[in-house]
Amino acid sequence: MPVKWVLYWQPNQGTTVSTQILNEATQCVESINGVKEGRWKATLNYYKPMLRDQSNHPDLPRDFLGISLADQPSKYYFVIRSQRIVVEADASIQLIMEKLQSYKSKVSLYFDGFQYQLGDFRVRVGRVVPVHSESVRGIVMEVEYLPISSMEKSRKVMEEFVEIWHEALSKRSLSGKFVNIELNFGEFGLADTYTPQHTGVQYAIVMAHMIATVQPARG
Amino acid sequence: MQSLQQPLAVNNQSEPDAPPKQVAQAMERLNQAARVIADIRLGADRILEAMFVASNPRHNDMPLQLFLKEDASMRQHLQDLRSIGKKLEESGVLTESLRSRSNSWGLHMPLVCPDGAVVAYAWKRQLAGQAGASAVDRTRLALKAFTDQKRRFFPHIDDGHKMESTSKKRRGSNSLLEHGGEEPVEYKTLPDIQSRLEKLVPNVKVSTYGRLSWLKRATSLPESGSDDPSEESKPIFQSSSKMRSGLEDEVVDKVAVIELSFPSVFRAVVSLNPAGSVDPDAVAFFSLDEGGSYLHARGFSVHHVYKHITEHAATALQYFLSFGTGTALYSLLLWICSFESLYSKPCSKCGKLLAMDKKSSLILPPIHRAYQELPLAVSLNVCEAYHAGCSSDAS
Repeated sequence: MPVKWVLYWQPNQGTTVSTQILNEATQCVESINGVKEGRWKATLNYYKPMLRDQSNHPDLPRDFLGISLADQPSKYYFVIRSQRIVVEADASIQLIMEKLQSYKSKVSLYFDGFQYQLGDFRVRVGRVVPVHSESVRGIVMEVEYLPISSMEKSRKVMEEFVEIWHEALSKRSLSGKFVNIELNFGEFGLADTYTPQHTGVQYAIVMAHMIATVQPARG
Repeated sequence: MQSLQQPLAVNNQSEPDAPPKQVAQAMERLNQAARVIADIRLGADRILEAMFVASNPRHNDMPLQLFLKEDASMRQHLQDLRSIGKKLEESGVLTESLRSRSNSWGLHMPLVCPDGAVVAYAWKRQLAGQAGASAVDRTRLALKAFTDQKRRFFPHIDDGHKMESTSKKRRGSNSLLEHGGEEPVEYKTLPDIQSRLEKLVPNVKVSTYGRLSWLKRATSLPESGSDDPSEESKPIFQSSSKMRSGLEDEVVDKVAVIELSFPSVFRAVVSLNPAGSVDPDAVAFFSLDEGGSYLHARGFSVHHVYKHITEHAATALQYFLSFGTGTALYSLLLWICSFESLYSKPCSKCGKLLAMDKKSSLILPPIHRAYQELPLAVSLNVCEAYHAGCSSDAS
């Protein structure tokens, strides 16, 4: 599977994120000869356990996350960041969880944006929007390099692409930048060859950072 | 009606028609005949139907009316058919009377064979009118494209000159004559080339296949998903150990495909022609995640980067072949190995790894590797990396 980096928009101190940033980003992709391929959608859910006894259970995870990926429509990925666990399940697991009522989704987020092809690169840019809300929680960008599936071998290529991207974006004087987080995939038991589980882990980390550092836009 | 007397003039004009018009008329009449025959068939159906209805005791005189109507129209159809048939006979379609006429412009009348098939010959193209002219144009364009490509890919070939003398002039101090006798003997057999290569380039995996076994391997490669190193190494060790055992003669005879791969980077496929020789005739680059029957020395990868490298490799291959000293395969394989650094070595001109290629509007790594210093190089550092646009001989 091709290597993918997941970046998120980090607004400058005191500014908020908005759909305008997404528009600027998509225009920027087109300015470096990106060809729009269509819409991109994904969903992410935070789960909390449903317990009769509401007292604290310290051993139950508090950051249990489930994510559906656009390029794996029949699968669903669970990540527990604190315990470095990532698991792939069939997409029907969501139905099972609903029936079991053991865990409930407490926060649901949509990723909504567009997919572009830039030669051997594939880029997706989208805004993060809570379900039942119009406020933009953040902007997320996926960059894939199709010819390589080794994280190590693709490192330099991805770094330079992100540089090219930053340079193109800087012409638009936006108040913030896209950030890539250095990850130790080995901690999650993942190898050098890229898999959807790598994507799941990247999203878990990105969301954690986003929630910590990005103020939600109002309205 | 004088037309019936003259076999050529089949309409009321006094002078005979030109062959294309005769042919067009003949085709038109054949079509008419086919329509009339279809009408006759339908009429026969209707008559049979009327007879069936009439056989029922409960009826009125409708079948009778139907019979009379169909009878009249059938007679008319058969009459029409007879007259068309006569015209066709006269124009030589149903016989071969016009076949040998010298002024027929090389056109032949359509011939209706005894079994009913209509045989049309070269005249059919002439009917369109344009087809002949466009064939000439197409040939002219093809010739122009060929000469352009020849000038671009084989600049060292001059018409009428021997290849060796021209290429020797270009090489200057690297002429083989100066280094002659040093190492050419070692390049002659495939096992020698393979072992020398593996000594020089530690990470490369070289394996050889007959044409059919390569096709099997190509189609069995997973089309996407992880490249599992343990799976890849199995066929490789098998065939290279075969190479070194006593079965050399047998195996070398059938080798037609060489696969060169660098784990996690790329795979290159070289074809040898004839099989069992050391003469390469094509090379193509692919991603390790690709699989399928299109994975061969004349195929193209789905990825732009490998497509571009494959095109560049064609030029390099022609350069190596131009030496005519049997060193082409070794030079080619060595040069392919210089691409191990495809995703790590920046361009020697602009210093960057990625650059926007102006011609294709794509962001690409340095897909060019200098080949002029091979095959006498002892290290692959002479194969400088360049972006297509930064390359010194970019045309």
